[in-house]
Order: sequence, then C-alpha cells, then structure tokens
Amino acid sequence: LAAIALPAQAADKVYRLKMAETWPSNFPIFGDAPRNMAAMAEKMSNGRLKITIDSKNKHKAPLGIFDMVRSGQYDMGHSASYYWKGKVPNTLYFTTMPFGMTAPEQYGWFYNGGGMELMEQVYSQYNLLSFPGGNTGNQMGGWFQKEINSLEDLQGLKMRIPGFAGEVLAKLGAKPTNIPAGELYTALERRTIDALEWVGPSLDLRMGFHKIAPYYYTGWHEPATELQFLVNQRSWNKLPEDLQEILRVAMRTAAYDMYIQSYHASAENWQRMKQEFPDIQVKSFPAEVISAMRKANDELLAEKAAQDPLAKQIIESQTAYMQKARVWTDISDKAYLNSLSAQ
Amino acid sequence: MFLLRLESVINRFSDLLGKVSAILFVLMLFNVFYDVIMRYLFNDVSIGMQELEWHLFAAMFMLGVPYTLKVGGHVRVDLIYERLSGNQKAWIDLAGTLGLLLPFCLLVGWYGVGFAREAFELGETSGDPGGLPYRWIIKAVIPFAFFSMAISGVGLLLRSINTLRGHHPVAHYQPPSH
Amino acid sequence: MIGIVMFFVALVMLLAGFPVAFTFGGVALLFGVFAEGPDMFAFMPFRIQSIMENTVLMAVPLFIFMGIVLQKTRLAEQLLESMGKLFGGVRGGLAISTVLVGALLAASTGVVGASVVAMGLISLPVMLKYNYDKSLACGTICASGTLGQIIPPSIILIILGDVLGIPVGDLFKAAVGPGFVLIGVYVLYILIYTWLKPEAAPSIPMDADVNSKREQYGKALKAIVPPLALILVVLGSIFAGVATPTESSALGGAGALLLALLYRQFSWKMVLDSATETVKVTAMVFAILLGATAFSMAFTYTGGDYIVEEVLSDLPGGQMGFLLLSMLAILVLGFFIDFVEISFIIVPILAPVADALGIAPLWFAILIAMNLQTSFLTPPFGFALFYLKGVAPPQVRTVDIYRGVMPFILMQVAIVVSILLFPDFYGLS
Ligand code: NA
Ligand code: NA
Repeated sequence: LAAIALPAQAADKVYRLKMAETWPSNFPIFGDAPRNMAAMAEKMSNGRLKITIDSKNKHKAPLGIFDMVRSGQYDMGHSASYYWKGKVPNTLYFTTMPFGMTAPEQYGWFYNGGGMELMEQVYSQYNLLSFPGGNTGNQMGGWFQKEINSLEDLQGLKMRIPGFAGEVLAKLGAKPTNIPAGELYTALERRTIDALEWVGPSLDLRMGFHKIAPYYYTGWHEPATELQFLVNQRSWNKLPEDLQEILRVAMRTAAYDMYIQSYHASAENWQRMKQEFPDIQVKSFPAEVISAMRKANDELLAEKAAQDPLAKQIIESQTAYMQKARVWTDISDKAYLNSLSAQ
Repeated sequence: MFLLRLESVINRFSDLLGKVSAILFVLMLFNVFYDVIMRYLFNDVSIGMQELEWHLFAAMFMLGVPYTLKVGGHVRVDLIYERLSGNQKAWIDLAGTLGLLLPFCLLVGWYGVGFAREAFELGETSGDPGGLPYRWIIKAVIPFAFFSMAISGVGLLLRSINTLRGHHPVAHYQPPSH
Repeated sequence: MIGIVMFFVALVMLLAGFPVAFTFGGVALLFGVFAEGPDMFAFMPFRIQSIMENTVLMAVPLFIFMGIVLQKTRLAEQLLESMGKLFGGVRGGLAISTVLVGALLAASTGVVGASVVAMGLISLPVMLKYNYDKSLACGTICASGTLGQIIPPSIILIILGDVLGIPVGDLFKAAVGPGFVLIGVYVLYILIYTWLKPEAAPSIPMDADVNSKREQYGKALKAIVPPLALILVVLGSIFAGVATPTESSALGGAGALLLALLYRQFSWKMVLDSATETVKVTAMVFAILLGATAFSMAFTYTGGDYIVEEVLSDLPGGQMGFLLLSMLAILVLGFFIDFVEISFIIVPILAPVADALGIAPLWFAILIAMNLQTSFLTPPFGFALFYLKGVAPPQVRTVDIYRGVMPFILMQVAIVVSILLFPDFYGLS
C-alpha cells in the first residue's frame, strides 16, 4: 500500500517559487506578464506550482534581479536582459538591438535560429536560465522638443537615452543624459533635456510627454524589446520534469500574450493621444541621419565582436538570421503594406 | 585606563571619517555645479561626471553616519531620556548598542561584503555610455561604512562603560546634538 | 501579525531614547531574524544601494549646506528679521515669514528633509532669539517644511502620478490651489494665535535710532534682497530649465558661497566647517532612512503588507464612506510607515476601488497627497519631527515639537475634510 501511496503523495507536493520583478506594483503590461505566467502555471499544474511575485516596491532593487536570482534570494525574476550589460557584457544582445530584428523575426531567431542556445551559453556560467519574457513591439524613437532635419541637429542634443543606443547617439555628437524617471517630465517640459525615449504609446501616455513635446519620432533603437524571465538553476533543478515543462510553456505563452497586449495598448493609447492632442507630429529621422546612426552602430558592434569571441558569435548569428528573415519580411508584410499605401 | 585609551583611538577614527565626508561633500557640490554650468553654458554633458555625483553623495552620507554617532548627532526621542541621570543614560546606550546597533551594523556589513565581492568578481561597470568603471568600489562603501558604524558603536559602548566606572563626568554624559 | 507587534515594540523602544535610526534597524533585525532567518538581511545592500543612487535625495545635503552657509554668514537671520520688521507691528511676523520662505523653498524642491532642516537651521535660532514660544516656532517650521510635498514640484505627486497613472503635469496643476489654501490657513492661524497670546510671538522692535519709516523699509529691503535673490535664482533655474530640482539645490549651495564672498564672510575654514555641519545633519537624516528601510523590509517580508491589504480591501462601499475610511486608514498608517511605502503599497489597493466607485482620480490623488503630507507631522514616526529635533538647539525638547505640530495637524485634517466635501471649490470634481 505504501508503495502505491508514495508516488501519489510526491505528485501532490506543492512547489513554491518566489519571483522578483523589476517593475513597480500595478505596472501595466510589463507587470501583467509575470502575473499571467504565474496564474497559468498554477492552473496547469493543478495548484502544484505556486509562484509569488514581489515588485520593486517590496524588494527595492529593480536592477538587482540578476544578483538576487543568481544568489537564490529569489527563484525567479522578470526583467530585461540588457540591464545586465554592466555586469556581463554579452547579456546585451538578448533584448533588442538598434537596427535589429522585428519581433516576429527575433522570435524566429530565439526559437529556431540558435538564439536560445546562445542565451544559455551566456547565462549558464552564472547558474541562471533565461527565457523570453514578453515583447513591447517596436518602440518609438522618443519625444523631441526640436526637429531633427540633419546630422547637425544631433550635435549637442541632450537626450535621455540609456544603454547601447545612447552610445550610438554619443558617437554622432549627441549628449546622452541621465535623469531620474521622476524628474523626466519636468526636465523635458523645461527643456533641461531636448528629448527622451520611453517606450511607445502603450506606456508613454501615462507619463504625459505628449502634452509638452511636439514631435514624436518613429523608432530605430529598440525594434523589438524582449523582456526576460530569469530562473535560478538550482531552483529549476529541484522541480520535477513535468513542472519544468509547465513552467516553460507558461513563460512562453505569457511572453506571446504580452506582445499582443502591448500591440493592442499602443493602438488604443495612440488613438487617445491623437484625439486629445491632434497637433502631435509624428516624424521619422531623415535618411542622412539614419544611415549615420547605422554606420555608428555597425562600428560599435564590430568593436564588441573584436573584443570577445562569444560576442562575435552572437552578433554574427543575429546578423545572418536577420538577413535571411528580412528577405521574407520584405516580400510579405512590407510588400503588403506598401501595396496598400501605393493606392 | 586601557578602555579610556581605546575609546579615544576609536573617537579619532570616527573624526577622521567626518573629515573625509566633509571633503567628499565639497567635491560633490562642485561636481554638481560644474555639471549644470557645462550643460547650460557649453551644451556639454558627461555621464561619467553625472555618475560621480551620486558616488560622492553616497560615500559622503554613508561615512558620515559613524562620525555623527560619535558626535551625538543622531536624533533620539527624548521624552523620557532627557529626564534621566547620566548613569541611566549610559545604561540605555550600553544596552542599545549591544542589543540593537552592533547586531544590525555587523549583519548588514557582513552581507555587504558579499555584495561588493560579487561586483568585483564580475568586473561590474556602469551600463551607460561613458559611465564609471569599477562599480565594486562604491558597493564596498556599504560594508566599510557599516563596519565603521559598528566601530563607532564600540566607541559609544566604551563611553558608557567608562562613564559608569566614573571616568567621565556624569553631569554631561551625552554631548548636545549641536 | 509579526508586523503589528513589531510596530509596538519599536514604539516602546524609541521611547527609551536610543538613536532612532539604530532603534529601527535593531528592531527590524530582532523580528526579521526571528521570523525569516538572517538571510533576509542579504536584501539590505540592494535597498541601501537604491538610496545611494537616488539622485533626487541629493538635494537634501545641498539645501542643508545652503541653509548652514546662510546661517553662518548671518544672511538668513537678516532676511527673516527684516521680513519680520516689514510686517511692522504685526506680531508673529517672524513666524509668517517662516511660512512664506518655507513656501518658496517648497516651490523649488519636494524634499521634506531638506526644507525642514534648512528652516530649522535658519529660522529657529532667530525665533528663539526673539523669545518666541518654542512650540509655536517648532510647529511652524515643521508645517512649512512639509509644504514642499504638496506645492509642486513634489515627490509625493510624482510618485502618486506614477502609481495612479495620472500625468504628473495635471497633478502639479491640481495641487496649486490646495497648496495656497494651506499657506493661507497657516498664516491666519499664526495671526489669530498671536492676537490671543501676544507674548508667544513678540513683534521685532523697530530700530530706535531710525526715525523715518521709509529709511526703515530701505534698510529692510537691503537685507532681504540678497538671500531672496538667491532663493529666486534657485527657483528660476528650475523654471527656466537650466537645472533639475536636484541640480538647482547645488546652484543654491554655490550661490550661498557667492553671497558669503560678496559680504566678505568667505573663508575656506567657513566652507569646511559648514561642510562638516552638513555631513552631520545629512548623516542624521540618511541614517533614519537606512533604519527605516530595514524596518519596512522586515514589515513587508513578514507578511505585514498582506494584513494591511486584507483590511483595506474589506472597506465598506459608498463613495463618501470609502473616502472617509480610506483617508482615515492612510492617516493612521502615516503614524507608522513612511509615505513612499504608503504610496506604493496602500494606494494600489485603494485605487481600483476608488475607480469602481467613480471617484475622480485627480481628486483622490490630491486627497491622498494632502493626507500623506500630514503623516510627516504626526508623532511618533513623523519624519519632519525627527529632522527638526536633529538640528534644534538642546533647549528645544521633543515635547515642544509634538505640542507645536498638533494645531497644524488639525488644520491639515480640516483642509482634507474640506477637499472631501467641496471638491468644486478646489476645481477637483
Ligand atoms: Na525604451
Ligand atoms: Na515642492
């Protein structure tokens, strides 16, 4: 009897995982993804997998997720890979890259083009597993107080634009500036800075930037920002195989759900912004500026590839995959939209 | 006599930290001022200089805490405390240091060591263009400051012991906060 | 449950008179280690780092420095005295000036620690010199110092905008009216109080050797102009977009040094002395933040946030009923936890309920902001009280401060109630 009862008991055992997210509590879209994931995992496992989520307001370490999951203070995290580039430079490539892939292309790279394997290679050294955690879709290039008509206009442009994209702009004479999130609105309104990038209509609306800046530039620097689920390797190993699979599926589904939700929220919010402020001017950078930014971007990537063999491997893998996928994008979605606008 | 001498050695250490903090503050003031002037008059921004602002700021207040403990600048709720005799005050400080201050500072300091070591081993740098390298230095300020608080706490402990043993005049046991 | 016990233990321990910062930290350690084991404290370095990186808080030492330099060069004293004289025979002129200077400081920054400490350094000694009632002086400073929370720009409003999803600009605009009402009520209170009790706030005697009133005004103006110009530079630099609020505090610090130079009071020794003094006060303020972050960590990680959530989500319905109860809850919680915790932990629980009841978000936000401002003043955990005690001369006792803030707390509550009853008057419905 005991021999029969034991496996049943083991199957009923409840596994509790603690997850920390970078976002504050009630943060729309970004914060919905981990909650959606946790709810699915619990349901699919019939209550055997329970995941609690602590937001930034509780752990106070939005950019400490990497360390806290690594050390096992939390079993899981929800964040974005490029936040860790100061700690582990090669984590930069698994969120989005300027002039890189669009979301469908990038998902293709992750799941079928070797992206997941490369990400594992980077993260496994730190006893971490990393999974795609939801995509924002194409991010807007940001809110500008002045028009950018030439390379000259980038000279001395004070812009809040963190990370790698900031490096690209800095190469062209712009001045990336750090401003705390709480002071951004005031800084842009009073022109302490000339421009800033946030996300896109999905999250820009609540910041109110559209009320104080006339130009909304289209994106170039974050064509497909993918968030990230981080899992501590030991916590993962402790899970039975079926729960590992449930967790994997829940994370993948939640990521996809967030992509859709972002798309929807951007459409809704953009409609609202345009209704309330019909004078917002949507602009794209002129060809001269785009090609200079592209050149700067390529040079920076070449530098990174020269410094580190794994970085070289990742960059080459991404470039090769994008070339292949882009040909298809061009004759499918792009051709379709072009044919419509040509009418 | 040994305890008295130890107390004065610790006091000198705390005073030194106070001097360092004061200098860090002046540097920070000039740093922020310089950044504003450069941006407004010369349209020039440096992320490295911007980051240096909070590095100086953080080191300044963290190292200032042990110094402030030594000079009696930390605020107390003195509804009752102010009516006590010097000896009674000394007992409260003795118990508070042993039961509250030392365990707190030593534990946080201990976890701070691992925190700083992690940054050192990863070779952590700023994630922003032109940011500062060697993040472990500012992170190491946390354990250093908390261990210094513990040392200053030992100074307070010795002060209360030496007072109870009659080596300090009881009448003005606690230095005025200002 | 542990969280509740922890509160009361902290309360009792604080009364023993050991430094507040380390009492918070030590009590957090006792309860945290007991409930969760020592590993909880591995979170502390992360929490400390988030304080270290908070550049908005950088305004604290910079404004303190400005205050200390103005004090050391006696420019602040002259400013306040002259303003007091300008009010001529009006009793309580110094207190009214304090409110007005506090309002100016409030409009340039939203950092309570900085304003209270700067005002404590600048105007408390002057009021005491002219034999003001200690309680009146302390209450006025604490209340004026917290004005920065409601008068834009303000950190509470920025955080609330974020939490409630309201554009910060709208919140700033909405807060102007209530802010002015608050200033008006403070001034009115001081006038009435000193009319009833003249000896509490003696008017500053006019200089005997000056005959003409015009000359008197001229002299006063001369003393007012330089420091006032400094404050206007600080304000102006923010409004002109030269600097962020944090940076403008550095302009204030540098400007104070410039004034010292102009008035031949400058020396490197003065700078270093002021810096040392600044370090002392800053460390006092930040040590409390360090202890409080440990305390709130132990509170939330031992399940305190869930208890609060449970209680609040069961509040009975009805717009007025909900508003009254939630405001009361925030006020009471404000006795214990700091406003950032409340904004991030409590407000998200209340917001959906308010939304469902059809309460205008701006109205709700301003009510909360007003209420949180009050929480800075409420003993025993009111941060403004700690900060003022930290810089007050020894003859000012905790009791004086507690007694002094009581009427101001009542006024605040009255205004919250008036916003509750007459949102139209404030343009908030
Ligand atoms: Na972005
Ligand atoms: Na303000």
